[in-house]
Amino acid sequence: MKDNKNTPIWLKASAAYVSSLMSALFIFIALCAVDGLMKSGPSLFCSVWDPERGNFGILPMIWASGLLSLSSLITGWTFSVGCCCFIHGFGPRWAARFLANILRIMTAVPTVVYGFASVFLLVPLIRNGLGGSGFSWLTASIVLSLLIMPTMVLSMDSAFKTIEAQTSITSAALGFTREQNIAMVVLPASKQWIWSSALLGFGRAAGDTLIPTMLAGNAVQYANTPLDAMRTLTAHIGLVLSSDVGGTAYLSLFVAGGILLFVSISANILFRLMRKKIWMQG
Amino acid sequence: MKKIIVSMALTIMLITASAGLAAPIDAFKGQKGTLDISGGTAHIPVMKEAAKRIMSFNPDIRITVAGGGSGVGVKQVGEGLVTIGNTGRALKKEEISKYGLVSFAFAIDGVAVVVNPANRINALTSQQVIDIYAGKIKDWKEVGGESGTINVFGREDGSGTREVFTEKAIKKGELAPSVNVVSSNGAMKTAVAQDKRAIGYVGIGYIDKSIKAPTFDGTVPSQENAANGKYKVTRNLYMNTKGQPEGLTKLFIDYIFSPEGVEITKDSGYIPLPAGK
Amino acid sequence: MDARIKLLRILAWLSAFFVICSFLMLIGFLIYHGAPVINTSLFFGNTAPLEAITGSRPVWDGIWPAFIGTLCLVGLTMAISLLPGIGCGIYLARYSEGRKKEMLSMAVDLLASVPSIVMGLFGFVLILFLRRTLAPDATTCISLAAFCLALLVMPALVVTTRSSIESLPDSLVTTGISLGFTEQQMLLHILIPAAGKGILGGIMLAMGRAAEDTAVIMLTGVVVNSGLPAGLGSKFEALPFLIFYTAAQYTDQEELLRGFGAAMVLLMLSAALLYAASKLQRTMEKHWKGAR
Repeated sequence: MKDNKNTPIWLKASAAYVSSLMSALFIFIALCAVDGLMKSGPSLFCSVWDPERGNFGILPMIWASGLLSLSSLITGWTFSVGCCCFIHGFGPRWAARFLANILRIMTAVPTVVYGFASVFLLVPLIRNGLGGSGFSWLTASIVLSLLIMPTMVLSMDSAFKTIEAQTSITSAALGFTREQNIAMVVLPASKQWIWSSALLGFGRAAGDTLIPTMLAGNAVQYANTPLDAMRTLTAHIGLVLSSDVGGTAYLSLFVAGGILLFVSISANILFRLMRKKIWMQG
Repeated sequence: MKKIIVSMALTIMLITASAGLAAPIDAFKGQKGTLDISGGTAHIPVMKEAAKRIMSFNPDIRITVAGGGSGVGVKQVGEGLVTIGNTGRALKKEEISKYGLVSFAFAIDGVAVVVNPANRINALTSQQVIDIYAGKIKDWKEVGGESGTINVFGREDGSGTREVFTEKAIKKGELAPSVNVVSSNGAMKTAVAQDKRAIGYVGIGYIDKSIKAPTFDGTVPSQENAANGKYKVTRNLYMNTKGQPEGLTKLFIDYIFSPEGVEITKDSGYIPLPAGK
Repeated sequence: MDARIKLLRILAWLSAFFVICSFLMLIGFLIYHGAPVINTSLFFGNTAPLEAITGSRPVWDGIWPAFIGTLCLVGLTMAISLLPGIGCGIYLARYSEGRKKEMLSMAVDLLASVPSIVMGLFGFVLILFLRRTLAPDATTCISLAAFCLALLVMPALVVTTRSSIESLPDSLVTTGISLGFTEQQMLLHILIPAAGKGILGGIMLAMGRAAEDTAVIMLTGVVVNSGLPAGLGSKFEALPFLIFYTAAQYTDQEELLRGFGAAMVLLMLSAALLYAASKLQRTMEKHWKGAR
């Protein structure tokens, strides 16, 4: 039945098409990034971005990308675990259903809509409440963590569901309450799922462009406090490509793109490896 | 080649024909085609209004207007991605020679330092602005305002407004890395209008009641002062084409210099320049 | 043990509170400002709606061109991605084995993890490359944007198609074979119709992604002002970019409110698509549950 000779030609063609496009993308970006590195590698890895004086350092952007995605990941991930617990027994039934529905709706909200609402709601709130210009690491981090939560919760939720179904009767027989079962049995058992969800969230957080561009202020500096502005690699690509094109500034984009591609792909491969390990164990 | 000659002849006929008619917009009668414009953001209000009038007059013409900044304008028109690339600064020599660009200056615009209307400050010296942008002055009370951290806003690399500002207002002074970056005159205005502790700079044409321009070294930054030379932080606004403009492009540029175009330029808050300057 | 549960309880309530509050606040804020401005003048400005719809008169001060731009963009994206996406999904589900299957599904997975700004960068590089080689007149335009978006939504199509076909009961195939169906007939007359709802759900999902993405089109030809898209090679307006642009550059209250209106419209569009997708997938699941 799975005889390859019988495979309709258009199916073969589509598979070939998808894989060749995918390779083309990788080769293009990788070549451009390597080209950029060869031509101006050393001058890119310094801390000052001032094209008028010939400084093209993208280290602050790398730093900002790392900082922003990790901070949003930590808050988003912690809250995701919390939400999962809430849905599975820690919250009242009606509230749990309400939360689950909200999370599902959240996947439908376009990123740009989050950004837009935050510019007019959250930014003034932070500016007047905490100081600074409001366009800051903190602002972007809050919205970004909200943005990546649904993906993580949904992925953890499926693990919770399976494991709870397997264990609930046994635990009940041992006299555990539902809360105790979740805390002592399900949570430890789904540890790897929970960790691998973090990788999913990280990929989304590191790759997002709109939230940092709209909310993080785009100043090229090392942010010291949560109220400082920062510019991520993604925002850098959007900003520079829409301003001056040519020379080293231009090359820096491809290096930035290469780094982003590398990071998100590493996260994805790690994710696959972890899930595979879980399958083998299960 | 034949086509070009024919269309040129037609254009010339049309122009001569239109000279006898009243409204400059009649030149677009019977025209067809697309015109892509991008570049300097100070130009957008003028370009958009002109496009609006032309496209309303003759829906067969499509004019797209994009921003991007002066750097984008040069690059895109040079690469042939758009037909008119706007800049808020004169072209550099290598830009002209590399791409064979032709410039048309159509307006004078001043660049003014602006603050939120709620700010007490009504005067700033150039030295104070230099220190604020270098990060040496960090609090409004150091320049006589209410105490509070100064939120400094600047423009992205490649912006013409930024170049004029750094060259003529802060005399190529240093820029602190903590300067928040926004990518157009409109965005700058929005940022400063929302933030009581903000300072920024915009083309004078963008100033309205939502932002306030303190006197700069004692001079009020207004278009009158920019025109009579009292206010020094000024620049010309240019439209650039690759080679001499032809057809629709030429019509458009002529339209900007026509009485109707001059009126649009004035309404947008700029001082019109006569053609050929 | 009690301490742990207490801690988790606090975390759970805190998280639920955070999510529900911030979501309701953001969306409530949006609806509060956006809902009142949704009317014909939001779409058409001062142009008469009929003239605007037929395209006989350009629209100013309205979101109509951006709305149509987004619809065209989504349509074009689907036209480019539908066949290969579904084809690749079927191939993965039924015709590939072992290493080949693993490699291909990994490629799709990796494609799904590529950040959309990198996708846009790829499009931009591609057009520069084309200009130097094959097509010196090529420029960033709606076709390029759709091509890049197609790359972006392809994984969603592949994965949903694959999983809906894999979830079909084996008895279906057995029946097909016993009736003497050829592979091709079985595919066209049994499997695809049976998995149809799931595949359709995947299409809706892909459309939702194509409609909301901003980073890709930002680098591949979207502009602030162009009127209705004029052809495959023209620049275009789009809702998400309009929203992005308005957030930073609005010059007066009217423009800001238009931004809120546009955000509402986009939100409703993508919510409707996602709702349809999940509804379709759920009915399909129910339908085949008994047969398995």
